[in-house]
Amino acid sequence: MNFLRAALSSLATEVRTINRRYAKPKIQMTWLVKACLVVLRLYLVVLVCLMIYKFVKTLKG
Amino acid sequence: MEQVVATRAKARMGLPAMLFYRFRKSVKALRMFAAIAGPGIIVMVADNDAGGITTYTTTGAKYGDHLLWFLILLGPAAYFVQEMTVRLGAVTKRGHAEAIFHGFGAFWGWFSLLDLVLMDWLTMITEFIGMTAAMSIFGVPPWVTVIACWLLMGSMILSGSYWTWEKIALGLCVGNLIYIPAAFMVHPSASDILRNSFVPHWPPGGLTNELFFLLMANIGTTIAPWMLFFQQSSVVDKGLRERDIKFGKLDTAIGSVLTVVVATFLIVVSARLLYGHPIESAAQAAVEIMPVNKYVGTIIAIGLFDAGFLGAICISLASSWAFGEIFGWAHSLNQNIREAPWFYAYYFFDLVLAGLVVLIPRAPLVLITLFVQVIATTLLPAALVFLILLLNDKKTMGKYRNNTWQNVANISIVLVIIILSTLYGITALFPEVLQ
Repeated sequence: MNFLRAALSSLATEVRTINRRYAKPKIQMTWLVKACLVVLRLYLVVLVCLMIYKFVKTLKG
Repeated sequence: MEQVVATRAKARMGLPAMLFYRFRKSVKALRMFAAIAGPGIIVMVADNDAGGITTYTTTGAKYGDHLLWFLILLGPAAYFVQEMTVRLGAVTKRGHAEAIFHGFGAFWGWFSLLDLVLMDWLTMITEFIGMTAAMSIFGVPPWVTVIACWLLMGSMILSGSYWTWEKIALGLCVGNLIYIPAAFMVHPSASDILRNSFVPHWPPGGLTNELFFLLMANIGTTIAPWMLFFQQSSVVDKGLRERDIKFGKLDTAIGSVLTVVVATFLIVVSARLLYGHPIESAAQAAVEIMPVNKYVGTIIAIGLFDAGFLGAICISLASSWAFGEIFGWAHSLNQNIREAPWFYAYYFFDLVLAGLVVLIPRAPLVLITLFVQVIATTLLPAALVFLILLLNDKKTMGKYRNNTWQNVANISIVLVIIILSTLYGITALFPEVLQ
């Protein structure tokens, strides 16, 4: 149990380090890049909603 | 200055000396290409994995040779997409996962990494399904196949040398060409094949929902997200530099030709021997062909195993490289297990876990295959959009960024792929849409 706790804690530390290292995007954020990322976010939200809908439908059916 | 001296020296040369000089230069270029070639050919041939072999057999059985022209169009599309990873890898010296983290920050980075890991693992299960089904035809029980595959896949990387791994992978690529002699054994009509390859047309019955789904499946199997991650990391691991880009592009072009050739020949075989039969998988195709032509049936089964094996080792490596890049583990095939323990541990963990799922009695394998299609639609558009944006970033790419023509070609291809793969994902989720 202690081993698992230590492993998870070490993983969390590593993830925090990675998040800090890549906190800011290095690509030049032009309006086109920003627009593409917004569209991508919307696309993924719609897709995830469809998947959740299908999942719920399958569970009910 | 050196160039001026070389030009003057060339001007003083006689014809025999000039010819000899050109010959030596060509030999040198050929040697250089032989040293650099590998990632492009491997990724493109591995793209014809177990799922791909099933898609092509089904295509041939359902529509004969009528869709060969469509498949030939996919070759250049795959080349244009993969070529960008060569430039990005050679210029930035970062794998695709690291390039996304670096370029777009942690949010998009984690999204891509976790999506890739899930998708790769599910795809690997389909590779093991293909391998076990192929060996079952020869009477080998699935557990024996799975354990033998683990041992073989493990021994491939024990040398701690990228070159050794690449040579074995290239050997497996040669194995993938087994469908070419199979096609000659069924005596196809060359004129029919040429007409169906170069004259675009719909099969008898026109554009139906079923045909549309199969076209999308063919796109999905030719351009997959793991390929972007694999080739870019492979280019970095191999140490390709900016001056090697032209050879990397040639390597990718040859690979794209090979992938189309293999798919074409397999469709030709399937069209000749299975036309009109409802085929669900490549293994079923091999079984049905056996009574008609034992040798061709055997070839299909061997080819399916080879495709699954090559696909599994490449896909598992794509994930291991991605994790290594982000977590800062040593992550090169040039390092041995002691030097890169986490990299190899993940590689084995992925393979073992995928193999185990296939051995679970009554595992939902059909559902897994469906999931692969759906999850690909979340990762592929994102990975392609990131690729285009990174290739247009002047700060990152300098003179190697996309020019106008490359942008026109690449953006058009990417848009078409995104639209069709999204439709493919949605129709996989809601098949009633097609009815």
